[in-house]
This record gives sequence, C-alpha cells and structure tokens, in this order.
Amino acid sequence: MSAGFALPASRLPRLASAMDDRWLLNACLWLPLAALLLFFVMPMGFIAWRSFMQEAGGIGLANYAALLDTPGVWRATRNSLAVGASTTLVTLLLGFVFAYGLERTCMPGRRFVSLSLTLPMLAPSLVLGLGLIFILGRNGIVGKVFGFRPEIYGFHGLVIANVLYALPQAVMILRAALRGADARQYDAAEVLGATPWRQFRDITLPGMRYGLLSAAFVVFTITITDFGNAVVIGGDYTVLATEIYNQVSGQMRFGIGAVVGLLLLLPAALSVWIERVAAQRQAGSGADGAQAPVPQPHRLRDGIYAIVCVGLSTLIVAVVAIVVVAGFIRLWPYRLDLTLRHYDITVSGGYASLWTALWVSLLAATLGVALLFLMAFAVRRLTGWPQRLATLLCALPVGVPGLVLGLSYVFAFNQPQLPWGVLYGSAFLLAMCNLMHYYTQGYVTMMTGVRGVPVQLEEAVGVLGGGVLQLLRDVYLPAVRVTLWSVAAFLFMRSMVTLSAVIFLITPMLSMAAVTVMRLDEAGFTAQAAAFSTCIMAVVGSVALLMHVLTTRAAARG
Amino acid sequence: MSLDIRNLHKNFAGQVALDRINLRIEASEFVCLLGPSGCGKTTLLRCIAGLLAPDRGEIRLAGRDLAAVPARERGFGIVFQSYSLFPHMTVAENIGYGLRIRGAESSRIAARVRELLDTVKLASYAERYPGQLSGGQQQRVAIARALAVDPQLLLLDEPLSALDARVRDELRGELRDVQRSLGIPTLMVTHDQDEAMVLADRIVCMNRGLIEQVGPPEELYARPRTRFVADFMGHGNLLSVDWLQDAAPWLLDTRPAGISDAGAVCLRPEHVGLQCDALGEGQVTDFTFMGNFKRVQLDWKGRNLLAEVPARTRFERGDRVRVDIDARDCAWVEA
Repeated sequence: MSAGFALPASRLPRLASAMDDRWLLNACLWLPLAALLLFFVMPMGFIAWRSFMQEAGGIGLANYAALLDTPGVWRATRNSLAVGASTTLVTLLLGFVFAYGLERTCMPGRRFVSLSLTLPMLAPSLVLGLGLIFILGRNGIVGKVFGFRPEIYGFHGLVIANVLYALPQAVMILRAALRGADARQYDAAEVLGATPWRQFRDITLPGMRYGLLSAAFVVFTITITDFGNAVVIGGDYTVLATEIYNQVSGQMRFGIGAVVGLLLLLPAALSVWIERVAAQRQAGSGADGAQAPVPQPHRLRDGIYAIVCVGLSTLIVAVVAIVVVAGFIRLWPYRLDLTLRHYDITVSGGYASLWTALWVSLLAATLGVALLFLMAFAVRRLTGWPQRLATLLCALPVGVPGLVLGLSYVFAFNQPQLPWGVLYGSAFLLAMCNLMHYYTQGYVTMMTGVRGVPVQLEEAVGVLGGGVLQLLRDVYLPAVRVTLWSVAAFLFMRSMVTLSAVIFLITPMLSMAAVTVMRLDEAGFTAQAAAFSTCIMAVVGSVALLMHVLTTRAAARG
Repeated sequence: MSLDIRNLHKNFAGQVALDRINLRIEASEFVCLLGPSGCGKTTLLRCIAGLLAPDRGEIRLAGRDLAAVPARERGFGIVFQSYSLFPHMTVAENIGYGLRIRGAESSRIAARVRELLDTVKLASYAERYPGQLSGGQQQRVAIARALAVDPQLLLLDEPLSALDARVRDELRGELRDVQRSLGIPTLMVTHDQDEAMVLADRIVCMNRGLIEQVGPPEELYARPRTRFVADFMGHGNLLSVDWLQDAAPWLLDTRPAGISDAGAVCLRPEHVGLQCDALGEGQVTDFTFMGNFKRVQLDWKGRNLLAEVPARTRFERGDRVRVDIDARDCAWVEA
C-alpha cells in the first residue's frame, strides 16, 4: 500500500450494520402506508359497507332498490349527464384550440393566455359561477347596461362556469400530448410531400388520441362531481352533487348517499384506467430523444389563434376580476363607488374559517410532503409485495371524486363509538381528507422527482459506506428539494380552495373558507362572498407566485 | 491482498447472466472485464461491489468471505460512467464524503482531499461544483472520491465511455499512472478492446455470462483461444480447416491436439505478407486508407482475406499479389 494513505482501513470506525438499515427503510414505507390505509382504504370500505346497510335494518340491496324510486335522484342524474356531456364537448373543443395555439403556433400573447389559464386554479370553483352572476345574473352588469337578462341560472350558467373551471386542466393534458410528438415525424412527412392538413390528420390527431380521451374523462368527472358551481349558479336545476348532499345532510338518507357515491366512482375510475392505458401505449411509441416540433411563424394561422385564445382568456380574466372588483363596490351594479365595508364580514362565522383553512392547508401540505416523500423513497428502494401494494394504493385516490371521499369520511369517522371517531370535527381530519383528495397527483410529482436521482449516485454512497440515513440526507433530500416545495405548494393551494370533499366534514365550530363563500352567497351576501373569495385568491395567488419565483430560480441555478 | 472469485452464478428471470465465473485478482493488479453489452461484465462488477447478490459461488477478499458483507462495509471504491457526483457538494466535499461518513477528523479529511486533488490534477478546483466541470474533470473527481477512503479494491464501471475521444485518451494514461503509483488492485469494465489493451495487466474476455479467456493483452490478441476472443480483440481472418486442406495444407501441421475440425486458424491482418506479383494467386478487390496503414481486401484461393500493409504501399483494385503466411503467426481457435 502507498504511504500516501492517511487512514489505514483497520482504524476506520465500524459502520452501522445493514440490519438497522432494513428496519429504517421499512419504516419509511409503513408509516405512509398506514396513513393511506386508515385515511383512504378504510373510509372507502365504510362507504361500500354503508351502501348495503338497509335503513330498515339488516344487510341487502334495499338502498339500490330505493334509488329506483327516488325521482329526485333520477332527475339529478339526467341533469348531471346533460351538463357533463355539454361541458366536456365544449371544453375539449376550446381546450384543443388553446393547447394547439400555445404549443404549435407563434401566436402573440401566449404568456397572457397561459397565465390566464392558471387563474381558475387559484380560486374555489364557485368563484367562476359568482363572476358569471356578477356579469350576466339578475343583478349583473350586462343586465344593467343593456337591459338584457339571459337565463344564466341553471343549465347554461352551469355549463359556462364548469367549462371555465375545467378548461385549464384540459389544456394541461392536451398540451402534454402535443409536446410528446416528434418533430422528425413531421419532417419526414414534409419531405414525403404531405400537406399540412394531411400531417395534422396523420400525425397530430393520432398522437393526441389518448390525450383527448383522458381530458374528456377528467373534464366529465370534475363537472359532475363539482359542488360549488351547482349551488351558486345551478338554481333549481338539481344535479347529482347537490342531490347527494341533500340526501345525506338534509334528509339523513345515508344509504342512498352511499349508493350514489359509489356510482360516481365509475366515470372517475374509467378516466384513471384510460390514462394508465394511454401512458403504457405512449411509453412504447415514444422514440428516444424525441424533439417536440418548433412552430414556424404563419401570419393568418397565428392571427386566428390569437384572436380566439386571447379573446377567451380575457373572458376568463374578466370573470375572475369582476369578483375582486365587486368586493370593493358599494352595491353592484347600481352604486359603483368603492368601499371596504364588505370586508367587514361578521355573518357566517366571519374570517374564522379563513384561518381554519390556512391552518388545515398548512397541515395538509406538511403532513403530505413528509408522507409522500417517505413513500416515494421507500417505493423506489424496496421490492416485494408491500412495495407493490403501496404503488397500487397510491394510484387509487385520484379515481375518487372529492364528494365521494368526503361522504366516506362521514361514514368512517362520524362514529363516536369507534376509536378513530375522536378525529371527527378536527382540523387534522380535514387536512388528511384534503391530502387524500390530491394524494395521487402529489405522489406522481414526488415519484418523478425521486426518479431523477441517478442510480449511480445511490450506489456510490453505498460503496462509500453510507446507509439509508446518508441516502436520504445526501442524495434524495438535496435532489428533490424543489419537488418537495412544489408538492407542498400544490397541496396547500388545493386544500385552500377545495369544497366538494370538506363540505361533509365541516361543523359549526370548524368551517373552511370555500364553504363560507358558499354560505355567504346562499344567504344573499354576494358582495361579502366576493370579498371573501378575494382573500382566498390573495393567499393562494401569493403562494403560487412564491413557488414560481422559487422554481425559476432553482432552474436558473441548474 | 487478493480477490478470489469461485464458481459464481447469477440468473436474471431465467436468463443466465453469470455462469461458472472463476477469477483471481492479485494485489496491485489492473484487470479489465471486456466483452460486448449483455455479456455479464457489469453484473460481475456489481456482484463484487456488493450491489448485487450472486445466486451461487463465493467472493473472498484476502481469504474472507464477502457474502454477508454489504456494499457499504466492503471498503471498496467505485467509479461509474457518469452522474455519480453529489451535485450540491463542492469538489472537495465530494472527495471527502467517504471519510466524513467514517467520522474522520476534519483536518485529516482536508489533508487527504488536498493530496488527492493533486493526484488527479484538479488542485485549483476544490471549491467548484460538479456542474461547473467538464465531463473529464468530473470523472477525475469521481476517481479521487473513490480513492479517498483507501479502498482495498478499485472498481471502474466504464469510467471513460462517456468522454470525448481525446479526453478519454488523456485520462486513460492518468488512470494507469495513478493505479500503478498507488498499487491498488483494480477491476475495470469496458467494451472497448483498445482501452483494455492499454490499461490492463490482464484482460478477462467475457461472452454470454462465461469467461472465454483470461490473459495479458498480448496473449489475447496474438493467441486467442476461441473464435469469439479472436473476433472481439481485433480484425482477423478465421481460416477453417476445410479451406486450409485445399489452400494451405502446410498450416494444418501446426494444429495442436484437442482442436477439432470445427476449429480454425486466426491470422491477424498485419501478418498477411503481400507482394505485387503478376503471377500471384491473390487479387486486390478493395482497400481502405487508414492513415498509418492500408487495410486491403483480397481474393485468395476462393476466399476473402484481410491484410494490413504500410500506407505507402501502392495497390490498385484488380492488382495481382503474392500472399505469404508464416505458420508462427497463426493461432488455433476452438469452434
């Protein structure tokens, strides 16, 4: 051996044994897995169980039979299907135009368009309904100025509000599908003499098949399970989301609620399945190093896309902006002088629910990041059935609409006689509900971050003498730091604005911000509802902005 | 200190990755595992590192069985093709990492890091981050990091393959110098036979999970024992027994016992003597200018033959040539 070595092997301190490590690694898996079992699998089990528990006692299919002669549910189902189908059709069409305009044209105003598309994500869905009412409603600005009052409450208003709400998500999916294309295919087609129309038909459309299908199901699902807009702008037009709420919270018919909840799982589960199939197919077709096509300027095309997209974006911005503005107006739309008095909210619990929402969202973000990080780490490092079980369970929550999840929590946790019944009515349970609601999206993001960790680096640590702790501290945490922040921000923002899951879990003592907006609107305090919405959007917007700065700075640093 | 591998087996889902591997690495020896992708060379390296458990067989370091010793306790050094530096640590922190894990004093770590930075000629780069270094410099840091813990065995997994040709040549020489001066037994995986020939004391040529031949580079090149080794170690002509019986019966006399009729003679192209001769039995069909030599294709006694001649030799397509083959340049290979 060379004399240059400062540390003879014999004098090195002994390293911890490998057995300690295995234990730690398993803990990384079982802690989040236990949370998933308790806060997702168990409630889902309860809702299935409750659907068979008959009101007259005993176990049977009476609830399913009762559904057949509950006319309200049938009308609501028909209405939901009609709204869902119309919304999906319109959203796909517009979403495609937006996605194509953003990815494949050089239209001016792309920054504005993509920025405007983030707006609906920063607010509770019912803000869009609220904005529409301020514009087109009975006391809307259009009615005042033009004397023309369209019938906005009901089907049409619901479709418009839902389209605005679902559009950003559809555009996101369709843009990803467009980005997955390979420029070389277009080059080859061009050289072979294909016209632009032929290239669109032979390359673009087939490449987007799954993207379109997946977007369709996502839009359909969020439309038929959305609660906020149905209450705010639905009027007498009942849909499934409101009907299920009435059955459970109004008439205490839990069995029917459970059955409808289970039925609502179908479209969502279908959409998840299609997405998986699509992912597999697309994985096979994507060539290595595929380069997305770079659009060339084309005056006419760019102009048309700019007019359509910028026009629609302006509408989205207007709908959201009008809510902010209306919160500062003395009496919309009649007395247009500015005032802050709507911010002095004393009805419906005042601002207490905003602080609750902040606390719950912080809790959901912190717990979520910790659990998801451990889960992603363990899933990547471990093999065997616990790892496969965890992978499967992590993929399931996205298939459960918030409404169904909230309902299942009522069944599972509103049980004073069971040990976990103490959680009912606690901020912790609200946080866990919100976490489970968005669990899969958070998990997928976390997994993507974790997959970016080079295997060689992990092995280098192993050979250099590091164990699980060193792996976490020196490899994983530094590598996924930005991912952790973005998952936390995502969970926080969603938790701040979501309504459909928490509507079943709030108590007079413990309410969430989005619920308060709904209550204010229901009680006729629309200006206060607008003011309160503005507060929510300010909080969520600030977090989104902070996140944007953080990620761009991290990206710049490399 | 020597590493002993006895009868190692490894399957992946029924596919044989390692089959009856027996190998001994002596103290201060540089051994290259050479073979095409999928031949099992990386699997063998990972088994030795402890990153993969063999199905059967044993690995002993200085007589001690390593089966129950996890990678982190083997005290080896490893360098991968790329992406193995901590991006958030400076060069110095990367190099000192293994010592920090072992709880060494910081003054001692600093001294060792300085020493290694000199060894890999990066003394002024201590405070840089990996992202600010070229690929060659990053690999030097990776080598320094592997050496820092005073490894009992240095494992190199295609450490030069991701580099540009020029940098690769340079680093190749340095790697050899460092290994010689420190005398650490080293095992390197590569698919590049030039690299293996330049670096290795011994080459282990692998194919389909089996070791085909082990020996010094000259021996594997000049005296390959199997068709596979003959092919993989460079260009050559494989002359079958059938053809030799008609065309060059005098070469058959050199056939050693144990080589069947399915065997062949391996004749390296530089050992094919060519003379311009209008009455010669060979005819030039094509040639390629390679800079310092010419590679000539010729037709000789009914088969195609590859020869290499000095670049200044003048040939035209269709020229008649006389072909001279010395039986001493021929190596017999098994089927």
